[in-house]
Formats: sequence, C-alpha cells, structure tokens
Amino acid sequence: MKYILLMSGTKPGVQSYVAWTQQDRDAHMAVLQNITRELTTSGEFVATQGLASPQEAKVVRGERGGMPVTDGVFPESKEFLLGYWIVDVGTPERACAIAGRISTAPGPGGVPTNMPIEVRAFASHPERKA
Amino acid sequence: MKFILMMNARKADWDEYAKWSKEDLQRNVAFMRAFSKELKDSGVFVATEALGWPSEAKIVRAGSNGEPITDGVFPESKEFLAGYWIVDAESPEEAYKIAARVSAGPGRGGESGNMPIEVRPVLGSHADLGL
Repeated sequence: MKYILLMSGTKPGVQSYVAWTQQDRDAHMAVLQNITRELTTSGEFVATQGLASPQEAKVVRGERGGMPVTDGVFPESKEFLLGYWIVDVGTPERACAIAGRISTAPGPGGVPTNMPIEVRAFASHPERKA
Repeated sequence: MKFILMMNARKADWDEYAKWSKEDLQRNVAFMRAFSKELKDSGVFVATEALGWPSEAKIVRAGSNGEPITDGVFPESKEFLAGYWIVDAESPEEAYKIAARVSAGPGRGGESGNMPIEVRPVLGSHADLGL
C-alpha cells in the first residue's frame, strides 16, 4: 500500500528554519538521510522530494486571453508543503511509524522538531472506502 | 526545471465532488487522462498521483519515546492535497500555463472547475534553498 507523508509549514516556520545554525541543519539533514537509507534497505522507499521556498509559490486559476491567471499573495496562516516521502508499506500503522521517525528529526540544539507529518493513502487503493 | 502542480481542496469541496453525477465524473476523469497523455507526449511529464479522501488522513507527531501519536481531527478550513503533477518545464511561465490547463478542466455540468493550482519549484538539492 502506498502512502505519502507530507511535511508542511507556514512562512514564519520556514523563516525560523533559515535562522538555524549550520550545525543544527546538518544534524537534521543527517537524520532524514539516514531514514531514507533505512527505507531503501527495507524496500519501502518510493520517492522523496523537498520543495523550494514558499516565496516562489504561485496559485494559478484558469486563463484570461490564453494566459494563466497567477497570484502569489497568501495569508500568513497558509500551510505550504515543505517536502514529502512516498513509502510502500504493509500497513497504515507502519506508515505512521515512519512519519513518527521523521517527526523526531532534531531541530535547534538537537531537540526533536516534533513537526506534524500528514499521512495520506494514494487514491488507487482497492481497499479505500469512498 | 522541475515544478510541482498541486490541487488542494477543503473537506466541503470533497463532499461536493462526491455528489457529482456519473457523467460529470467521467468527463472530468477523461479530461485528466487526456491531459496526462499530452504531458507525456510533449516530454514534460515526470509524475502524477491522486490522494485518498481526507477522512483517511492522519497527522503524526513523535511522542516522548519516539512512538507515533496520531490524530485525525482537522479544522474545517484545512486544505488537503487532492493530487499533484510534477513537470519538467522550460520556465515558471510554462509551468503556470500547464497549471491553467488543469484549472480549466471540466467540473459539474461540464463547466470549467476553475480550481486553484499551487505551482512550486522542486528542490534539486538542499543547496537550492541558499543555505
């Protein structure tokens, strides 16, 4: 069963990450890279991707005169996707356990970020309830 | 340059979608299939996925011993990812044009759904954040 683990944050959250020390960022990334390695070894890894800063985000709605209508103004409370992991696991519980590991990745001073990770099934599940 | 095109919706929008007629749903799905094929034929396609219902979504946080603590209670205003496309486009403008095509996809009664599509560059590496 494929699940996507979504890490989201607001603009102020992204700004505070940019203010971390290089050492804190390196420790954080080392744990995430370790998780990817473990998932690759266990055969559960499908894909992972980080997204660029929310400043570069645009929302597109329809077209006017053949051109897309873009908007880049978002409320402060808007949650932006920071990155995701796609895993192929045996149970939803396993997907949640992996999300829990990601949530323990260290933040400033080595304290776990405790970031909320949204766990979502892919729509192709035959067992999915409509 | 790789971009992700994200279609987000609130729970109320999903409930509304569940009420569409079979004809409306088929028209929408046919559009999405033709759209994916066009992206593949033009060489910009990287990936696309549709996600399951928000009722199945969970938020996980690590507990004090690292155990997962799950929660499935979300505010009504929360936006859920409905699906995404990753495209390899020449420029942001080309990615916006592709997003506009998705946004113009048929909704109820065949009228344009005019769904907002969030367009974001994908990171090649962490260095792209300028850190």
